[in-house]
Amino acid sequence: MELNPFEIAKKQIDIVAKEMGLDPNITKYLKRIERALIVSIPIMMDDGSLQIFEGYRVHHSTVRGPGKGGLRFAPNVNLDEVKALATWMTWKCSLLKLPLGGAKGGICVNPRELSRKELEKLTRRFTTGIINIIGPDIDIPAPDVNTNAQIMAWIMDTYSMNKGRSVPGVVTGKPIEIGGSVGRNSATGMGLYFVIDAMCEKLSCKLESQTIVIQGFGNVGGWIASLLYERGCKILAVSDISGGLYHSEGLQIDKLLEWTREGNYLKDYDDDRYKLITNSELLTTECDVLIPAAIENQITKENANDINCKIILEGANGPTTPDADRILFDKGIHVIPDILANAGGVCVSYFEYVQDIRAYFWDLDRINKELKRILIEAFEDVYKVYEERKIQLRTAAYIIAVSRIAKAFDLRGIFP
Amino acid sequence: MLDINPFESAKKKLDIAAEVIDLKPNTLEYLKKVERSLIVSMPVVMDDGSLEIFEGYRVHHSTLRGPAKGGLRYSPDVTLDEIKALAFLMTFKTSLLELPLGGSKGGICVDTKKLSQDELRKLTRRYTSEILSMIGPDIDILAPDMNTGEREMAWIMDTYSMNKGRSIPGVVTGKPIEIGGTVGRTDAPGTGMYYILQSLCEKQNISLTSSKVAIQGFGKVGSVVAQILSDVGCKIIAITDSEGGIHSDKGLNINKLISWKQQGKSLKNYEENNVKSITNEELFRTKCDILIPAATENQIFSGNADEIDCNIILEGANSPTTSQADTILNEKGIIIVPDILANAGGLSVSYFEYIQDIHSYFWNLERVNREMRRILLRAFEFVLNLSSEKDITYRTAAYAIGGERLARAHELRGLFP
Repeated sequence: MELNPFEIAKKQIDIVAKEMGLDPNITKYLKRIERALIVSIPIMMDDGSLQIFEGYRVHHSTVRGPGKGGLRFAPNVNLDEVKALATWMTWKCSLLKLPLGGAKGGICVNPRELSRKELEKLTRRFTTGIINIIGPDIDIPAPDVNTNAQIMAWIMDTYSMNKGRSVPGVVTGKPIEIGGSVGRNSATGMGLYFVIDAMCEKLSCKLESQTIVIQGFGNVGGWIASLLYERGCKILAVSDISGGLYHSEGLQIDKLLEWTREGNYLKDYDDDRYKLITNSELLTTECDVLIPAAIENQITKENANDINCKIILEGANGPTTPDADRILFDKGIHVIPDILANAGGVCVSYFEYVQDIRAYFWDLDRINKELKRILIEAFEDVYKVYEERKIQLRTAAYIIAVSRIAKAFDLRGIFP
Repeated sequence: MLDINPFESAKKKLDIAAEVIDLKPNTLEYLKKVERSLIVSMPVVMDDGSLEIFEGYRVHHSTLRGPAKGGLRYSPDVTLDEIKALAFLMTFKTSLLELPLGGSKGGICVDTKKLSQDELRKLTRRYTSEILSMIGPDIDILAPDMNTGEREMAWIMDTYSMNKGRSIPGVVTGKPIEIGGTVGRTDAPGTGMYYILQSLCEKQNISLTSSKVAIQGFGKVGSVVAQILSDVGCKIIAITDSEGGIHSDKGLNINKLISWKQQGKSLKNYEENNVKSITNEELFRTKCDILIPAATENQIFSGNADEIDCNIILEGANSPTTSQADTILNEKGIIIVPDILANAGGLSVSYFEYIQDIHSYFWNLERVNREMRRILLRAFEFVLNLSSEKDITYRTAAYAIGGERLARAHELRGLFP
C-alpha cells in the first residue's frame, strides 16, 4: 500500500477530468501545486546540542481565495504527502463554496521526543520561516496530526510579534481566549450528523430508526455517536484502538463516553451484555450506517465484499481505498465521501477565520445554524449531480469541486 | 560528465576547510543546510494557445551576513540540488570578499531555445511574481546566469517594481545601464582575473608580461581576459570555444580573433600563418605558464589532469576542476586560483550595482575598477596568508576564510527565537 499520495491525488484528477470532459489545459494546471516552501529549522535543544529539522508549507491553489490547511508534526512527513493533502483541501473548500484555497504544512519531527520548550521553539522558528507565505489573506494554518490549540497559539503569537500587531486570523483552531471559535471541537461530528440526516431524507428513511456502527471513538467518533444516540438511533458497535464493543440492542453511548473520558479503553468496559469485537469484525458488522471515523485505508478490496450496510459515512480522511470504492458502488452501498462528510471541521475553521477578521464572535447556535446551511447546500449539489449522472457520490463531489476551481481559473486568466 | 550530486560535492569542500579552522560541529551542520527553498509553478499561455506549466526554484542558502545574492539560470536540466549547490557557493564567495551579502540561486526548468521572446517574457514575469515575497533589495538580489541576461533582468526589475508600485532597481543586478545598471559589469570577471593574476605573479616573482597563456572559452570571460593579457604583453598561445580553437607559439592576435568571432565564425576555422587548429582536449595538453579554464564546469578531471603542463591555473569558470583533478594538480605543484576568488570580479561589480541603486548615486568606470581591485586583492591577501600559514591550497584557504566569517556571524546572531 506504499502509494505516493500525490500520485493518487493526481490520478483522482485524471478520473474526474475524464468523467466531466475537462479542458486538458485546466487538468494540467490542477495537477501541479502553486508553490512549496522548504525551510530548515535549527533548534538549540535543552541539552545544548543543535538539531536541524525540515519543514514544508505547500499551496496547491489560491485561485478561489487564501490557502487553508492543517499543519502536521510527524517523523514520516514528506513533501509529496503535504502536496497531496494541500490538493485535497482545495477540493474540500471548493465543494463547500468557501472563499478559500488549499494548503498544507508539515514538519519532520517526532514531537514525543521533544520537551515542551523545544516544541515551542520549533513552532516559533517554523512560523518565522514561512512568515511570508502565511497570513489571513494568504494562507491560514490549522491543527492536524500531533498539533493542537497550544501550537496554534504559538503560531498566532509569533506571527503577531513579527507584524507588530495581534493577527488572530492567521491560524484557526486557537484557544477561545485568543480568538478561537465556539463549536470547533464538535464541528466534524455535527457536520456528519447534518449530512447523514439529509441523506436519510433522500432515501426516505427515518434517521432515528437506523442501526449504526462507528469505528473510532475520539473527537469525531465520540461526537457523532453521542448525537445519533440522543436522536434515538441504535449504536450497535463502536471501537477505539484497543478494539470494539458490540450489542445487538444498542450500546449506552453516554456511559461509554464517560468511561473513555476518564482515560479508559473501550475493551476494559465492564458490561456482560456487550460483546468484545476486533476492529475488522466491527467493519463487517451488519447495520444501516457504517461510520469509519478513525484513520485512512480501513475499507480495502480485502474486506469491501464483506461490508454489510446501506450507507458509509466517511468521518476519517481517506478511509476507503479506490479499489474498495468500486466494489461498494457495485454492491449498491452509498458512500458519502470524506470531503463532504467530515467537512464540518474546515467549515467551523472558516467561521473562526471570519470571526477573527471581523472581530465579532458568534454563539454556538449561530455556528451550528451556519454549519448546517453550508453542508446541506453542498450535500444537495452533490446529490443532484449523483442523480443526474448515476455515478458515485464521491465522483459527484469531485466534479463539483473541480468545476468551480476550473471556472475560477478561467475567469481570472493567467498572469501576466 | 560525473553524475555526482552537486550539493553533496559542494558540502565536501566545506568539510575539508572545516578541519583547518576547527569549525564546531553545530556550526558545520548549520552551514550545510539551506535556509529555504521555494518551488513554484508557472503556467504560461504559449503563442499557439496551449498551456505549458514550468517549474522554478529560488533557494536562500544563507542570509547570515546580509541579503542573499545569486544568479538566475534557465536550463532544461536545472534541479533543486544544483540550485542548492550554487547558492551554497555564493554564500562562500560573498563571505570571502567580505560583502555584506548572503548566498542564493534560482532556476527555471526550461529550454529557452524553444520559447519565443513573448513566451520568455511571460515566464520571467510570472516567475518574478511567484517569488516576490522572497526577493527584494533587503532580502535577495538576483543576477544573470546561464541563459539569462540584461533583457531578463529588466523584465524582473519591471515586474517587481509594478507589484510594489514604485521603481526598485536594486532587486536585480546585471540590468541595462539605462535602468540602473552599472558601468564596467560586462568586463568585470575578466578584469578581476587580471588583477588577481597580476598580484599573484608579483608575489611569486613571475614576470606576467613574458608569460605564455592558454585559455578555454572565448565568451564574456575568456575574451575579456585574453584582450587584457594580450594588451599588457602576454603571449596568448592557445584559445578555444565550444567547437575547438587555435594555437600559435608566436602568440595570437586577439583583436583579430574578436572581430572574427563577431562575424559569427568559429575559432577553429581561423586561418593565419603559424596558426594551427586544436581541439579542446589538446588545449589542456598545451605547455604554457598560465592556463585559464573559462568555459564550463568539470573540464579538468582525472582523465586529463596528469597531462596538464603549466604553473598556474586561474579558474575563470565555476567549478572547472573536479575534486579528483584538484588532488592530482596539487601534487604536481601547480598553483590553482579557485573560482570563488578568481572569477569574483563579476560578483563584486554586481554588488557595486546594488549599492549604486539603493544609493541612487552612480559611479564612473575608474571608481568601479578601483573598488573592485581593492576588494579582490584584500580577499586574495587573506587567502595567501592563510595558505602559507597553514600550508594548505588556495581553495581550502578560501573556503576556510569564508566559513570562519560565517561561523562568527552565526555565533554573534545566535538562534531565533
